[in-house]
Amino acid sequence: MTKSLSLAKLLETTALLLIIFFIVLPIVWLALTSIKPQEKAYTTDVVFMPTADNFRIIFSDTSVIINAGTERERGEVGRNMLPSVLNSVVVSGATILIAIPLATIAAYAFSRYLFLGNRALLIWILTTQFIPAIVVAIPFFTLFRSIEVFERPLLGTQLGLIIVNMSIVLPYAIWMIKGFVDALPGEIEEAAYVDGCNDFQVLFFISLPLIRPGILVASVFAFIMSWNEFLFALIIGREMRTMQVALMTTSGARGIMWEQMAAAGLVVMLPIFFLAMFIRKNVVYGLTMGAVK
Amino acid sequence: MRKKRWVPWVLIGPALLVIVLTTIYPLLAALYYSFHNYNLRRAPQFAIQIGESGIHIDWSLLSLENYTRAFSDSRFINSLEVTFWFTVISVGLSVVIGLFIAVIVQKGGWLHTLTKVLLIFPFAVSPALKGYSWRFMLNENYGVYDLLIDSLLVKPVNALLSLFNALPLVEIPYISESIVWLGDKFWALFMLAMSETWGWAPLIALMFVGALGSIDEQIFEAARIDGANRVQIFFRVTLPLLRPVILIVTMLKTIFSLKMFDQVVTMTGGGPVRATQTINYYIHQMGFVRSLDIGYASAMSYILVIVLTICAALYVALVLNRD
Repeated sequence: MTKSLSLAKLLETTALLLIIFFIVLPIVWLALTSIKPQEKAYTTDVVFMPTADNFRIIFSDTSVIINAGTERERGEVGRNMLPSVLNSVVVSGATILIAIPLATIAAYAFSRYLFLGNRALLIWILTTQFIPAIVVAIPFFTLFRSIEVFERPLLGTQLGLIIVNMSIVLPYAIWMIKGFVDALPGEIEEAAYVDGCNDFQVLFFISLPLIRPGILVASVFAFIMSWNEFLFALIIGREMRTMQVALMTTSGARGIMWEQMAAAGLVVMLPIFFLAMFIRKNVVYGLTMGAVK
Repeated sequence: MRKKRWVPWVLIGPALLVIVLTTIYPLLAALYYSFHNYNLRRAPQFAIQIGESGIHIDWSLLSLENYTRAFSDSRFINSLEVTFWFTVISVGLSVVIGLFIAVIVQKGGWLHTLTKVLLIFPFAVSPALKGYSWRFMLNENYGVYDLLIDSLLVKPVNALLSLFNALPLVEIPYISESIVWLGDKFWALFMLAMSETWGWAPLIALMFVGALGSIDEQIFEAARIDGANRVQIFFRVTLPLLRPVILIVTMLKTIFSLKMFDQVVTMTGGGPVRATQTINYYIHQMGFVRSLDIGYASAMSYILVIVLTICAALYVALVLNRD
């Protein structure tokens, strides 16, 4: 009995270690490659002198960098990735600044008011999540080509991408925040009504402060969503490259410069990594919109 | 209660307006485009013309040509097949491996807890980056996956084969150590699905861990007292109890897989020879890269919309049934 038990234990531990290895390897390998000197990047060596050169290269303007006497080529025409980082920050930031307030008041109304079509509307909003992004991108591509803002076509601007991002972020945020409002007991609001508050006073002074943690979690999810968004960024964002699209500029005449891709990848990944840790407890809820509890 | 009836509409109004403009407008516009011969290289001619003499509809400009073209376009059919197989492999592996991980990590010591914490890691990696990192690691010359597969799988299997082949029986061919993973039609699609599985199996495991935690411990206890072993408990108790959650998760993952695009661009570029061109990728190629055929791209994306609508309806039915 004890013998078979310890064998089971051994199998279980092995499985756990394999799972950990399977999960962590791509991330660790990316991080390792990003600090590898170029001559080691194209090997599977794990012993090397760490360097910050790759990060220096992706954030520099020149196409060739001289480091310790060796010339190192940049991808494509030596694009500095700093503007792309800013584009991603501006687009994702503005997307949540617009979407979250709109979603919050809508989610509150869906949760607290019974009105005609409440449930049907809510389910319809859920199904908009399943519309393939490409079908949204096509008409906005043709539309934004013909709309000019300050004499520049809307296509390829941050504003254009922010507008299109609404199609995925807003419905998502409504569902998510509605869940947090639902979880809040209504008695406090009832008491406030009895004390003579009107609907808006209850919403802004009683309920909103109480669901603030939920709103924060939804904001983080919405930020991650637009930060990682690729299809819209490619079709609508175009030359205004977000970081996801800027990853592609690490490919040059001699193929992809993997050490630069890894460095850029780490810049893309790290902020989301910390945000993901912050919303760890809500990930399942966020991914399934409460369908799996 | 003194709640006013117009208040909810004021609160929902702005959000509803934005959702309608960013989802209903493109859905209608794409449907309209899909009936036209609309290529950005030529000046478009639209059926609805609004002028001084009022609204005029030129029916002759509308046709189903883009739809009939899609079903006789071997590349579109190919993209349907690729998407189908990608979905089957990635959903199947993600759900099965996710379930496996969940059952293992659910209860236990610190190693279990550590694994549970690590499960969220792939969530931080964007799909585009996932594609690039897998492409890098699968490289036949310096990829770490290539190295691992060769040294941990191929070499031991070949060593066993050489023992077997030493016997005067049938000769079994050795496995090649120089497979170019993304250069082979089967392996490219399989590895694309594997990269998706890497991202999703841990997250699905998290979903199952939550669901497993809500099952009453006494049920397992009773099964154990009745003499059931772990395997029996898994198949006779855990699996039936998880069935509703498994169905929902499978449906949700199917929808995500059908929409797959990012990694195709960054990992395989649709190749080799169209072996990994998913529907979304082919639509993007026809609408924005190889040709600027907006009408055709719209028609194909509408076919995808129809497929996804069916899946979404199934998903909503599953979720509502459960409540």
